[in-house]
Amino acid sequence: MTRPRHHVIIGTGVAGNQATRTLRQREPDARISLLTLSALPFYNRYDLPRVFRGVHDWREFLVDPPSYYEDQRIELRRCTQVVNVDAQRKTLALEHNETLSYDTLLVASGGRAYLPEELSEYRDLLDGFTSFEQAMTMQRKLPAGGAVAILGGDMIGLDLARTLVDTGHRVMLVAGKHTFWPHVETPEQRQALLGVLQSMGIEIIDAEAQGGIASIQAGARGFAARRLVFGKGRECTADVVLPSFGLAPAVEFMIGSGVAIERGLLVSPSLRTTDDSILAAGDVCQIWSEADNRYRFFFGWKNVRAMGELAARNLTGDDEAFEPAQDETLHIHDGMTIHSPFWEYA
Amino acid sequence: MKTDVQIEICGSAGEGTIAAGDILRNALAEAGYRIISFDAYPAEIRGFGKCVARLRATTEQAYSLKEKADVLVCLNDEHGVAHVGDVRDYGAVIYEAKSLAALPEGAHVSAHLRPAQIPYPLQIRELSERATGATRSRNLVVLGYLAGLYALAREPFLRIIEAKFKGKGEGARMQRSAFAAGFAAGAATFKLDLVAFGKPVQGQHSVMLNGNAAVAQGCLDAGIDNFFGYPITPATTIMEKLALEMPRHGKRLVQTEDEISAIASTIGAGYTGARAATATSGPGLALMSEMLGLGIMAEVPAVVFVSQRGGPSTGIPTKTEQSDLNMAIYGSPGDAPRIVIAPTNVEGCYRCAGKAFEMAERYQTPVIVLLDLYLSNRYETVVMPAKSVFEPDCDKALSKHDLGPGYKRYALTPDGVSPRALPGTAGGMHVVTGLEHNEMGRVNEGPDNHEAMSRKRHEKLRPALQLADFTHLKRFGDEGRVAIGLLAWGSTFGECLAAMFRARTDGMRCAAMKVVMLQPFPADAVAAFIDDCDVVLVPELNYQGQFAQLVQSETGRRVQRYNRVSGAPLRVEDILAQMQALHAAGNRRAA
Repeated sequence: MTRPRHHVIIGTGVAGNQATRTLRQREPDARISLLTLSALPFYNRYDLPRVFRGVHDWREFLVDPPSYYEDQRIELRRCTQVVNVDAQRKTLALEHNETLSYDTLLVASGGRAYLPEELSEYRDLLDGFTSFEQAMTMQRKLPAGGAVAILGGDMIGLDLARTLVDTGHRVMLVAGKHTFWPHVETPEQRQALLGVLQSMGIEIIDAEAQGGIASIQAGARGFAARRLVFGKGRECTADVVLPSFGLAPAVEFMIGSGVAIERGLLVSPSLRTTDDSILAAGDVCQIWSEADNRYRFFFGWKNVRAMGELAARNLTGDDEAFEPAQDETLHIHDGMTIHSPFWEYA
Repeated sequence: MKTDVQIEICGSAGEGTIAAGDILRNALAEAGYRIISFDAYPAEIRGFGKCVARLRATTEQAYSLKEKADVLVCLNDEHGVAHVGDVRDYGAVIYEAKSLAALPEGAHVSAHLRPAQIPYPLQIRELSERATGATRSRNLVVLGYLAGLYALAREPFLRIIEAKFKGKGEGARMQRSAFAAGFAAGAATFKLDLVAFGKPVQGQHSVMLNGNAAVAQGCLDAGIDNFFGYPITPATTIMEKLALEMPRHGKRLVQTEDEISAIASTIGAGYTGARAATATSGPGLALMSEMLGLGIMAEVPAVVFVSQRGGPSTGIPTKTEQSDLNMAIYGSPGDAPRIVIAPTNVEGCYRCAGKAFEMAERYQTPVIVLLDLYLSNRYETVVMPAKSVFEPDCDKALSKHDLGPGYKRYALTPDGVSPRALPGTAGGMHVVTGLEHNEMGRVNEGPDNHEAMSRKRHEKLRPALQLADFTHLKRFGDEGRVAIGLLAWGSTFGECLAAMFRARTDGMRCAAMKVVMLQPFPADAVAAFIDDCDVVLVPELNYQGQFAQLVQSETGRRVQRYNRVSGAPLRVEDILAQMQALHAAGNRRAA
């Protein structure tokens, strides 16, 4: 009797979860392991701003109920960090000192919040918003009507800003080159987009015009929790400072595996790495683009989900090329609202 | 908010698992929670074998441990893996984040978590090493983590730690450091599970005792004069507590060379008028059975505490069972009637212990108090009386007319109890022998005498069923006609009561009866209960259904049995399932 194949997927984001679903459909008998650093099953991170609308039960954010994984015989391993991949032996070394073997590996580890080097010394004074735990921590810190300074922006941060304004908070956006990440905009588009943000009630602080951020300080007792000091002397205070500069691919554990890495894992249009047994999908991979004649990232949840599905199909016999599933550009509707493919997840 | 949290700590012998459970239950009890706690541990002292400390902290009365834990703490992977399934959905599993040894695939706790359980990997070893320079304080690290994670007050923990390690040099400081390290980690952890401690109950002057400690306290409050014992699991801690306390009250405790000597000494002391007791387990009771016969024949007050464990022979010393009932009731040569009582909870252990001395004196006979490992080792918070509730002297009054040259130590009286003169009583000289004897105590093998004396020894115990201040049996649940009745004895009753309440919540008409007085047997009351029930289920921890046999032979009624000998207490869910199956079968028959 042939042993069923063991598919291991690293990452429970949109790509990993979609891949898991497709793999189970296509190989009902396969063993599927889904590894994640998170303590929770896959949940909708795009929906996290709802914590400011009073949704504080993490189960409300789950895409599938916990029973789904048991029903589908998916071995969900949470709080599990991969530290090394041995592509020759087809094994993963896990942080807790366990070795896990695989027949096929899909890397869908996504990205982690990027923090520019010049801000790294203030890390302890900054909050994050990439997980439920971080979102709730921020919500607990932020008093009713409190102030938030968002550094950078990026589309996830801007989505949060919209909610915070709606829920009666003061939002200061320290705008810079990452404000509309991952979108690329012209200077004219940028001014228009910033104007729309202002009309939505977000205070815009042009970081460059203010001489950049000189320092971030903890507030004294009885004062706002944080103080931002700009190079040209301007100061502002906030209860929470949220850096939001986009994502950096989470690929450290793949170093030494033998597969090609640039910023992300380099994959062919069919999402294969330089090792036949290892595919990659989502924000972690740079896909070869014939049109651009270079490896490039594709962002947006629809693209990421399409990658997850394609990777699973290609792991189970197909060999198709990735076709972007989503328009990546920003649109302004009626001169008043911004439409981003990142903002409406379904 | 009500609190009902069950925590399990799982590790190997020697890892401080049981000690951690002990500190935790004491700290939570001191904080004001009600506690039910039961530990499972191997027979071996160190090096291998699984230990599990279990406790349930509540703000309302609970009768048993829950089927599922809310929190599991794994001190090692090997044993932890086997217990992950014990945790309910949205409960917490705390485990060592990084193994020192390379683990084979699937050997880490994280590989076994169900998707609805919340993982809390913790650098237990590393935190212990940083705090104390050694890994042996890992148990204190996890206690601190629990306290930090669930925002429990630190002070009760620190007081318990201080008391536990008092006089051990740097020990207390090291343990406090380990606890503090864990607490900081717990407080910094984002809590995702749905486990919460509400405000504890204040102003409740309760103490936390296990069954054996309650027995010892009952002995002390009843004025025990002498204790003779030989160590045996799970009864040993009765002797240990008495060894600490009795000398302070000018009383004597002797560790004898074996169980035969222990019961012989107890009977000897009882003969002199002392309140005397011994404690043992099944194998010890077997050795004592001949001397028990002497106590019965010579009509000497004596109290024997028997904590049952898995048998036969040496059996499973550290696992619970209720399989010595037959031996306790029948185990002696000849017709050897004695009183056998079995408490059903820790408070009952206290009351039965004290009452046993009263009964032994009142009816001039050995009294066996039947516990089991589950009850002996189970901790509960109980409200103790401010002063002793036991009568200091229950001897039948001896008048001048009884004494003299014709003194009849074994006089045939209407109630069967004879006037007892203690050694040295003027005019009370008599013969004491294990041979059949006449009213004077002199040997007499005549048929009429044997008939009369046998009747006397049996019938004098009957009034024990009428004792006003003793709960012989008690019914709970629905009154009148019920679909299912549960009939239980000993430690098993708590689980039965919990199952009965669950079944009632589900709409079943049912009731439960605990039977404390097992010999003489309250047959009429039990028969009346059985007659009230469509079906009676008797759950017990033995293979034979010893209590069910007793019930059937004493009442002439048929009962359904549910017997388990897994070494673990019965599970509420299993009893409930049996009830539901019987109920469904009854409904089918009715249809």
